Amino acid sequence: MADVTSGPGIFAQIRLVAELRWRILGNLVRKRNSRLDLIGLILAAGFASMFVIGLCGLFWWGAYFSVSTGHFAWLLLLFWSICLFWQAFPLFVAGFGAPFEFRTLLRFPLRFSAFYIIGLAYGLADFAAVCGTCWMLSVAVGVGMARLALFPPALLVIFLFIWMNITLERLLSSWFERLLARRRTRELLFGLFILLSVSAQFLRPAIIRYSEGARSSVSVLRVISYLSPFPPSLAGSAVIAAGEGHPSRFLISVGALMAYTAVLSALLWRRFAAQYRGEELSEASAPLQTVRGLSPTLTKERFDALGFLSPQLAAILTKEIKYLARNGFVLISLLMPPLLVLLFTSQFAGKHPSVTHARISADSFFPGMMGYLILMLMTPAYNCFAYEGKGIRNYYTSPVRFREVLLAKNLMYAAILIFEIVLSTALLSLRIGLPSGPVLAATILALVFAIAGQFTIADWVSLSFPRKLEYGSMRGQRGSGVSIWIAFGVQILLAGICTLILFAGRWTGNPWFPSEAFAVLAVASLGGYFAALDALSVVAEKKKEVLIETLSK
Amino acid sequence: MSESAILTENLTRTFGALTAVDGINLSVTAGQFFGFLGPNGAGKSTTIKMLTGLLAPTSGRIRLLGMDFAADPVAVKRQIGVVPEGMGLFERLTGSEYLNFVGRMYGLDREISKRRSDELLHFMQLADRPKSVIADYSHGMQKKLALAAAVIHGPRILFLDEPFEGVDALAAGALKALLARMTERGVTIFLTSHVLEIVERLCSHVAIIHKGRLVAQGSLDELRAGVSARVSSDDSAPRTLEQIFLSIVGQGGGTQSQLEELSWLT
Repeated sequence: MADVTSGPGIFAQIRLVAELRWRILGNLVRKRNSRLDLIGLILAAGFASMFVIGLCGLFWWGAYFSVSTGHFAWLLLLFWSICLFWQAFPLFVAGFGAPFEFRTLLRFPLRFSAFYIIGLAYGLADFAAVCGTCWMLSVAVGVGMARLALFPPALLVIFLFIWMNITLERLLSSWFERLLARRRTRELLFGLFILLSVSAQFLRPAIIRYSEGARSSVSVLRVISYLSPFPPSLAGSAVIAAGEGHPSRFLISVGALMAYTAVLSALLWRRFAAQYRGEELSEASAPLQTVRGLSPTLTKERFDALGFLSPQLAAILTKEIKYLARNGFVLISLLMPPLLVLLFTSQFAGKHPSVTHARISADSFFPGMMGYLILMLMTPAYNCFAYEGKGIRNYYTSPVRFREVLLAKNLMYAAILIFEIVLSTALLSLRIGLPSGPVLAATILALVFAIAGQFTIADWVSLSFPRKLEYGSMRGQRGSGVSIWIAFGVQILLAGICTLILFAGRWTGNPWFPSEAFAVLAVASLGGYFAALDALSVVAEKKKEVLIETLSK
Repeated sequence: MSESAILTENLTRTFGALTAVDGINLSVTAGQFFGFLGPNGAGKSTTIKMLTGLLAPTSGRIRLLGMDFAADPVAVKRQIGVVPEGMGLFERLTGSEYLNFVGRMYGLDREISKRRSDELLHFMQLADRPKSVIADYSHGMQKKLALAAAVIHGPRILFLDEPFEGVDALAAGALKALLARMTERGVTIFLTSHVLEIVERLCSHVAIIHKGRLVAQGSLDELRAGVSARVSSDDSAPRTLEQIFLSIVGQGGGTQSQLEELSWLT
């Protein structure tokens, strides 16, 4: 019989979980032993704090301004914007990776009431919730400073609104958990987030071009007026009613807000109860397509497009293609270069540049844009074993020299680069036209020089400073600090050399001089690349223990 | 005298101040089913990693099938198959894609690789989930796939690190039969496992490593005889491999004193 006669109380259980989370956070920070990583973490925390504090000031000012000047309708906008951020942000970042899963606590003798409260407390610990709470309290302070008598009712409303938001966020998250249990959904959500972020960059040029002085703020308030039955409008209306001296309207709005909170709490109670009973959502529960009785003879023979390569090279290249096709993040990120070409052409060139009044010529824009593409697309090559995981051992147990592994990986990157460069060039030619012959030739040869030169260094960096990355996850998904700095340094150096040579064409008065210089450099760079492959195989052999250990973690 | 399939001379591996493998001399005859045993942390996996090219020895020599591993690793690797610790699968490929990949890496023709992949997937009962990536496989299924990958090119030496862990009884039976058939055809199998019953049933010869040193090597009968000679009474003479193993590496009376410390549990 167990020695435990009575379990710890609810608050003791909650305290234990809080301590556990604190320890997990502490250990995470401790693991970042690299100084560069720690600096990155501190910088990120600094930026996040500035974001939160900056917007606290904005919300405080918004609330103060609307109450002191009698523009109460603006309060609705504040409540809506905070609510939308609070609910939408966690759903997007959920696709970035699985944080500590509090349901694992169910293995312990945890009471349902404690489980429910811990679940809610987790909602309060989210970044969005911390932001929302800080911003809502700033609104309360702003309202109170503008009119002191309004502070108590505003605080009551804001307390209710925060509670409602936490409950709603937990409810939405638990529903989304069903979807996010599948890797593919997580990847798609992340892709959607990236595309939305990039698409948002088009708003400014579009607004500048098409708004022509229209007052968008008035339109937003008009739209919000149709949303009066929803919680943010109810919360705002309650404060407005208190400010305008309508106690009955205040009570109705607060009552409706409480009713929302009660209904959402009941729904959340049901969801948590299902989880408490042992509902399990996991990757494995995703439906699988099964085929029974597949005979070996039924498999169709397909044309071997890589038949001209050695079996080993073809095998690695095929594997790389399969990995690319299954990595939603990377696939979607391949849409970025053409999107950015469109963005930059709309801002700096084309018929209606939104940033500069004088459009930049194709001769200047084309080399710059290609350089930017290389900067973006070459970075992953500096950690080219990132997604191998434990599979890296295959390269060491197979009868293959590492030069073939590197060659296959570089071929894959080269194919992607060629595709992206051709696509972006086509877009550029449509938007701003092609540059002159000498600049086009010089740029293409400069690309060969820069790509081949970088492959040699990137392969060495990949072998020397590997970092494992996870599929379907964004949290902490970046190369090692050293590899990032080396990649940055190399690209700056190459960009400097290329710029110097391009300008030398103008200074010497010979427009074909850059092409000739880049042709020589491209040949030297390609020769150096192939010559270095054997030396890199030796490096791979020397570094195999570090590589296997790092990627197999 | 039979040819040695695996031969090591003073094989040593250190990690800083720790000597994980300390000058071991192994000799495994071609066609043997060889069990390599030892307690946790004894140096089994380090040895198998060195024998398969995953870890460089600090000193000593490895000869597989008469070839010096260090001199021509590619030629040696063509002749061996490995199920490493942790399996080392590419988890974002399907089972069929992975087997094809491995087959091609060993230089098999595309058609042969495809045919063998299909046959192995059927044998391992993995053919009914053609679209599942390996990450979605259960642990046992991954183990079976790793075994299939290790044999796809018809190796002459097979290194298996805990091959039956997590594999169901049905599949384990089929695998054991397959491995036994392979040894009959002259393939050397080098196996590590913590399940001593499996080693006892499958292996003809055994070596025991303890704290990085080879403390016993020979056929089961030789080991039994060797240990019997060390104990005085006939009643305590070891019969099973477990008894042999415990008498060689066990800490006499240690278990009893440890149990006494946990009296609150017992």
